[in-house]
Amino acid sequence: MAAADAIAASGLTKFYGHLRAVDHVDLRVPAGGRFGLLGPNGAGKTTMIKLLTGLSEISEGDAVVAGYDVRTDPMHVKQNVGWVASEVILDDDLSAWENLWLQAKLQRLDRWTDRAESLLAYFELGDRRKDKVGTYSTGMRKKLEIALALLHAPQIIFMDEPTIGLDAGTRRTLWDLIRGVNAEFGITVLLTTHYIEEADILCDRVAVIDHGRIVATGSPSELKAKVRTDFIEIELAPPVPEDRLRAVPGVLEAKSAGPVWTLRVESAEVVLPRLLAALSGEGIRSIRVDKPSLETVFLDLTGKRLDAEGTGPVDYRKFYAQMRRARQ
Amino acid sequence: MNGATRMADAVPTVRSPSPTYVPQGSQFAGLYGRELLKTFRNPWVLLITLVQPFMWLAFFGSSFSGVPLAALDVLLHAQIQSYLQFLLPGVLSTSMLSIGMFGSMSTIQDKRFGFMKRILITPTSKATVYLAKALGSATRGMVQIPVMIAAALVFGVRLEGDPLLWAGWILGLVLLGFGFSCFFLAVTASSTDWQTPGVISNFITMPLMFASGALFPSANFPGWMQTISDYNPVTYAALFGRGIVLNGTADWTYLGYLAIFAAAMVAIGTLIAARYLKVE
Repeated sequence: MAAADAIAASGLTKFYGHLRAVDHVDLRVPAGGRFGLLGPNGAGKTTMIKLLTGLSEISEGDAVVAGYDVRTDPMHVKQNVGWVASEVILDDDLSAWENLWLQAKLQRLDRWTDRAESLLAYFELGDRRKDKVGTYSTGMRKKLEIALALLHAPQIIFMDEPTIGLDAGTRRTLWDLIRGVNAEFGITVLLTTHYIEEADILCDRVAVIDHGRIVATGSPSELKAKVRTDFIEIELAPPVPEDRLRAVPGVLEAKSAGPVWTLRVESAEVVLPRLLAALSGEGIRSIRVDKPSLETVFLDLTGKRLDAEGTGPVDYRKFYAQMRRARQ
Repeated sequence: MNGATRMADAVPTVRSPSPTYVPQGSQFAGLYGRELLKTFRNPWVLLITLVQPFMWLAFFGSSFSGVPLAALDVLLHAQIQSYLQFLLPGVLSTSMLSIGMFGSMSTIQDKRFGFMKRILITPTSKATVYLAKALGSATRGMVQIPVMIAAALVFGVRLEGDPLLWAGWILGLVLLGFGFSCFFLAVTASSTDWQTPGVISNFITMPLMFASGALFPSANFPGWMQTISDYNPVTYAALFGRGIVLNGTADWTYLGYLAIFAAAMVAIGTLIAARYLKVE
């Protein structure tokens, strides 16, 4: 662990019965940055947060967070980290001020009221401080949750899918807030997301995670630079032999999933006209071109697409449960 | 980083010397305060807590009002002024049986809505959560004591004893309530099912209520029920209170039994909660 690392994990593994949710993860998160864990639903992102915050027991491996060993000293880790849940967890029967009071008690803060006042002002919640949290909008609840996470001036704040379920406007507002928290409070931010855009815009370093394993780490530009190729996704009505697609000059690789072919190509601008010519007369239903992005990085590394809805079927039961909790 | 290298070996943790204990007083105060805020701010909980004792005394206490006192003296093995006078310590004791259910339900709610994660991601131990919940639900149950005593006075019951005896009696009820709260929370520590506390309450309340000396003297019981009654802490709370209410005398060994019961429940429950209290 370098002196400037806020988080360092080695061989981090978590078993749930026979299921390996996190699989020998090595991770370094530099202090002061915004680090993203990017992966689809069920990739192990939330489990990693639970392991790194001492909320869940590590099966194998070690982790040092904020200078403390998570295995042997989880209590001191917890004194130095903040946490923002994906489902917005607050006590709706209490006011914002009472939630802050409880957080102060749980974090053993003697003097907290001045900081609480300034946090409420920063997040523009001061006027509603005495109102029950159950009457807040989702955006206000999210802000209050971040304020709770910052109350004890942690070194690191963990944000689990911080913008899930938010509309586009609120999401952008929250991105600004997260940047502000990182810059103005000088706190390391580790966030999980399955939104490509969020990881690209918000994080200065990203770890791509799939099936509990980190498959690549770097800044978004570094990761994109690794993928020097473009991708063309083409949906064809009648089946077309792979050889015919591979024969198109510039096509490096072709993979199919039903009627949809994903082609890795040297340059989409050059290959696309050749491809259309080669498939002239075939029933082309749709074409999609992906220039190097975190999306193509994920595609290149895992062979599957990570779009805004995740790679697998959306777990609506979980999503609506989260939303229900958020509104409780 | 080499995955084969253990982080703890490779990098000494500089900030934390060997003791990892974080004092828990502040966290306990916060969680206990939260329980009180939530309880006493809910008008329905308050209303039911206050009305329930009246209903016990009004409906059950009046059920023998037509029976001559001499017959009641024979049936109850005591010199009484009314069945209500005999019943009051027993009803107060049995009402402590189910108060742990509220603590269990509140704990399960925290698990299901994720609030337990919010608590346990701070330097708060599971034992602290457990004890705060247990004391919170016991405190809720304590509200019934003055209400029921006042109700008994309204119904014309004359109570014997002096302030010391009364303080002892209330202490006995507190110990009984706290002990059963601990029991409930320990049994449901790993549960996330809303129905569990109610099922367990139904399961234990009826046999422990009737297999005690709370409502009728155990001298009338068959042998097997007397055996249960002899090990039932409700019996000791009822007998302790009844001695004070009827005769102005107390057998302090009963209070000792209740203290042992509460201490055992706290110790066992804390161990169970520290190991099995689920986060979600």
